[in-house]
Amino acid sequence: MTAGDEAAAVISLRGLCKSYEEGGRRRTILEEVDLDVAPGELVALLGRSGSGKSTLLNLVGGMDRPDRGSIVAAGRDLVRLDEAALATYRRERVGFVFQFFNLIPTLTVLENVRLKAELVGLPVAEQNERARALLAEVGLEDREGAWPDRLSGGEQQRVAIAAALVHDPEIVLADEPTGNLDLDTGRRVMELLDRLCRARGKCLLLATHSAEVMGVADRVLGIEHGRLVPREAEP
Amino acid sequence: MRYGLLLRRNLFRRRLRSLLTLGGLACAVALFATVESLNDGLEKALGGDQARRTLVVYRKNRYCPQTSHLPEYYAREISRLDGVSSVLPVKLFLNNCRTSLDMITFQGTPVETMLKQRRIELVSGDLARFEREPDAALVGRGFAARRGITVGENFRFSNVNVKVVGIFRAAESTEEEIILTHLEYLQRAGPVNRLGTVTQFDVLVDDPDRAGAVATAIDELFADSEEPTDTRPKIAFLESATRDLREILRFGRIFGLSCALVALALMGGTVVMGVQERYREFGAFRTIGYKARHIAGLVLGEAFLLAVLGAATGLGLATLLVAFGGIAVGVEGVQVAFSLTPMLFGKGLAMALICAGLAAAVPAWRAARIDVVQALRTI
Repeated sequence: MTAGDEAAAVISLRGLCKSYEEGGRRRTILEEVDLDVAPGELVALLGRSGSGKSTLLNLVGGMDRPDRGSIVAAGRDLVRLDEAALATYRRERVGFVFQFFNLIPTLTVLENVRLKAELVGLPVAEQNERARALLAEVGLEDREGAWPDRLSGGEQQRVAIAAALVHDPEIVLADEPTGNLDLDTGRRVMELLDRLCRARGKCLLLATHSAEVMGVADRVLGIEHGRLVPREAEP
Repeated sequence: MRYGLLLRRNLFRRRLRSLLTLGGLACAVALFATVESLNDGLEKALGGDQARRTLVVYRKNRYCPQTSHLPEYYAREISRLDGVSSVLPVKLFLNNCRTSLDMITFQGTPVETMLKQRRIELVSGDLARFEREPDAALVGRGFAARRGITVGENFRFSNVNVKVVGIFRAAESTEEEIILTHLEYLQRAGPVNRLGTVTQFDVLVDDPDRAGAVATAIDELFADSEEPTDTRPKIAFLESATRDLREILRFGRIFGLSCALVALALMGGTVVMGVQERYREFGAFRTIGYKARHIAGLVLGEAFLLAVLGAATGLGLATLLVAFGGIAVGVEGVQVAFSLTPMLFGKGLAMALICAGLAAAVPAWRAARIDVVQALRTI
């Protein structure tokens, strides 16, 4: 990336360090990580369990704080934001897709998808319109009144993808989105996530340990000893 | 933030647990309200303004009202004393002299004097018929409601068999629990004919400040007679008669407080369990942008919603118990009705809300402070 690209990046990490206390010892997870992700770019983070992929996503998602370094995402310097401002950032600028879906069990499919649109203050008619359009795109338009626990894993993940995009965020963070799905379902979910993000020009940062889903990424980065290492994407 | 929807849905999701907590809370509030309603009834009984102007004359050293036998002619002599406005001879007939939940109190009085001295008002029936027929009776509306007595029927207890010709309301709450008959009828009706004797005299004084002096004058008047008297202001008599009741009530209030503590523990258990099992869900809420105060609001909101529902159910149960349970606590012929006032409803609701607030405060604070990353890792 050039300096101009850097300025245009939706996510820009500089000298990012993160470590955890573990059994009385300090364990370094991320060390001097630099990364720029452009709008509409799909970046995959590949690595073993515990390598720091989720930690990186949590830092970019404003759910965790770094020991050192800077995180500028969607024009905000996350290190300088307080808890309330981070919550607003997560609400307005980021869409999350998790391995275990994290749908709200007391809300129906439509209500789960609509929730973030509601949180950002869209009019009710627009909330419903957007939520229904996304449910149609993920092929669940006939399940809008169902409870999450009545859906299969693949269906729940499709609902989570719709919910992550309903409020039109600049950044989508997906942490092992296929990790709890069988191979075939995982591939279809990955294709769906890729298609929807690209169609909307969203920047997608994806953490996975499965090389199978790497083919869709623009850029593949490995995490080794806390540092980002470029990897070749599968053709 | 759709709080209402989320709160309702979550309570419904764990419906058995919610119902059990709600049921426990309702029982605690119902018991609390019932105990407090007796306290309010007692306050009401002791708070009538007519009682401050009235003296009660009994036979000295009597054990129970029914062991007090005073000559009826004492009324004439008492009425001649300075400061006495009027004297009402009263013959009492009780089913039980001790503390009882179902006391029946007949009071036989000269009808004309009684109507002048007591502030009663007929809510149904025929006053002229009461004045005309010697075995007619007027029933206080509290007693009538408890026993389901209506005008036109006969009411019988032991040798006393009266025709109910009217239901009345009274200025003094204790008087709404009695049955008024003709004096002579009751004097003759007991197992022993007591014509010419009465149980007590109700003496109305001109000036409440002089009640003590008039009481002394009455007792001095009959000090050397065959039947000496013991005269006390009606308030003092009521306080003395209800002393045991107030002791019981004191214990009852400890019981009521225990109910509040049980409600607190019950609510605490439910809220803590709810928060523990929703740790991941709260993490998901925080991820999508709910702030810490919103999470605390969800936990507190659920506890308060349960409290309001539990209090409403409990107060409904207490109302049913008081309205249809047919209970009033009586002692020595004085009956104290359970009194559910709007203030008491407020207290019951406040108790439930305070319990909910105390039970949910710490769990809400902890839920608000969860580590989002850790919460999302929770299985």
